Amino acid sequence: MIFLRRQLPLLITLITGSVFAAQYYVPHPASEQLLTSVTKWLQIIGGFALVLGVTSLFHVHAVKIRRKEAGWGYSLVLYAGMLGTIVIGLWAGGKESLNGTMTMFGWVYNYMMVPLQGTMFAILAFFIASAAYRSFRARSREAAVLLVAAVIVMMGRVPLGEYLLPLSGDVSQWILNVLNASVRRAILIGVSLGAVALSFKIIFGVERSYLGGGKE
Amino acid sequence: MSFAERMLKIDRRIIFLIIGLCTLLPLLYPVGLPIRISPEVRSVYDHIEALPADSVLLLSLDFDPASKPELHPQAIALLRHAFRKHLRVVAMTLWVTGTGLADQVISQVAQEMGKENGKDYVFLGWSPGGSSVIINMGQDLYTAFPTDYSGKATKGLAALQGVRNLRDVNYAVSLAAGNPGVEAWYVFGKDKYKFELGGGCTGVMAPGLYPLLRSGQINGLIGGLRGAAEYETLVGQKGRAVAGMDAQSATHVAIVVLVIMCNLFYLSLRKSAKQQGQIGS
Repeated sequence: MIFLRRQLPLLITLITGSVFAAQYYVPHPASEQLLTSVTKWLQIIGGFALVLGVTSLFHVHAVKIRRKEAGWGYSLVLYAGMLGTIVIGLWAGGKESLNGTMTMFGWVYNYMMVPLQGTMFAILAFFIASAAYRSFRARSREAAVLLVAAVIVMMGRVPLGEYLLPLSGDVSQWILNVLNASVRRAILIGVSLGAVALSFKIIFGVERSYLGGGKE
Repeated sequence: MSFAERMLKIDRRIIFLIIGLCTLLPLLYPVGLPIRISPEVRSVYDHIEALPADSVLLLSLDFDPASKPELHPQAIALLRHAFRKHLRVVAMTLWVTGTGLADQVISQVAQEMGKENGKDYVFLGWSPGGSSVIINMGQDLYTAFPTDYSGKATKGLAALQGVRNLRDVNYAVSLAAGNPGVEAWYVFGKDKYKFELGGGCTGVMAPGLYPLLRSGQINGLIGGLRGAAEYETLVGQKGRAVAGMDAQSATHVAIVVLVIMCNLFYLSLRKSAKQQGQIGS
């Protein structure tokens, strides 16, 4: 059992990780064909992952409802929403419109999901304004620099700001193009080097947490 | 409690009311302030403008309804421009929750511009796999999307004539609200399959994409509602983005004023606390 649970996954990871890291540099048709096949598998696995995710979500909320945990009513709403949408979606063949006519699935999408998601995102503007008023204070020199930069960028990104502070447009472009880009690039390089190191650790079996923490 | 202390502890519903009014009033009474075109938006426009008729534009609408206010106007302006230039548009999405929106936007603009599905444009829909869909399209577009969104076989469609994979795309633009999006299109697409790539994103994402822009990994960037408004101005067909810029202007200025006010109150409190400390000692 240890072979199936530990050694075999490690072996598969080592072989596929090494082969596909090398594949990027080999433009031979056989290598390209291999990539085509494997990306197709990935798409199929992606489809199954979706089923797995939905099943897992159903299971978590079923337990909550059965045990009547705090907020179990919301789990019921989730069940009703998901099951209703799945049934309606299957009925409509997954299409929001057929020959220009809106299906029931399209109705659920357009009149429930679109406004609900839009509302959630729109509410952010109010909370950001309130949070900025309460916590965006020049408590230190660093905070003061951040505050000044934020004010310039906020003014420079809108026509009224540019009208009131004519230089803010050019200064905000400079902040975004020079200061922001260079700092972001440094972060990106750091993150990428970390990702390369982690990939090597996974390929060579040093990092094994993805195998789970079950008994050996 | 002093005035400054009371102002710092102001009821947040008052702030909500100010932001609400700053959003609503400019929408009801638009001012129409002039919009300056940034070089990153102009780059996307100029690249499309320079493409000869019948070129292939891949438009990946990688967003969901939460980002509709910012990215929907970008998509409309880009599609209007592409159809006006008689480009063949290949649209798709990497976000399953955005499929309906993507279908609506392309159908709406195509109808407005008198374009025919399958001949002038094709909507491929969504396929599972996230970033791996990009690699799959780079290898063979027809294995990634054997049929389009309406169920028609993609092989043989006039809109895809001469297109085998991403190498045959003349220009790709990803309008993204997160991952997979512009970065994924660069890492898994442009880097390997060598096509020109432009990006569009929400306002909060834009600063994060500037390193890609500065290094030439993307040739242009349409950032947020402002970017959409700039593109609408360039296309010469003002829409929701230009209309929304007045509201965004007012809310930005309101937030800046609020932040300055709160800092003035905070500094005055700190000064009086210091003075009291000196008197006490």
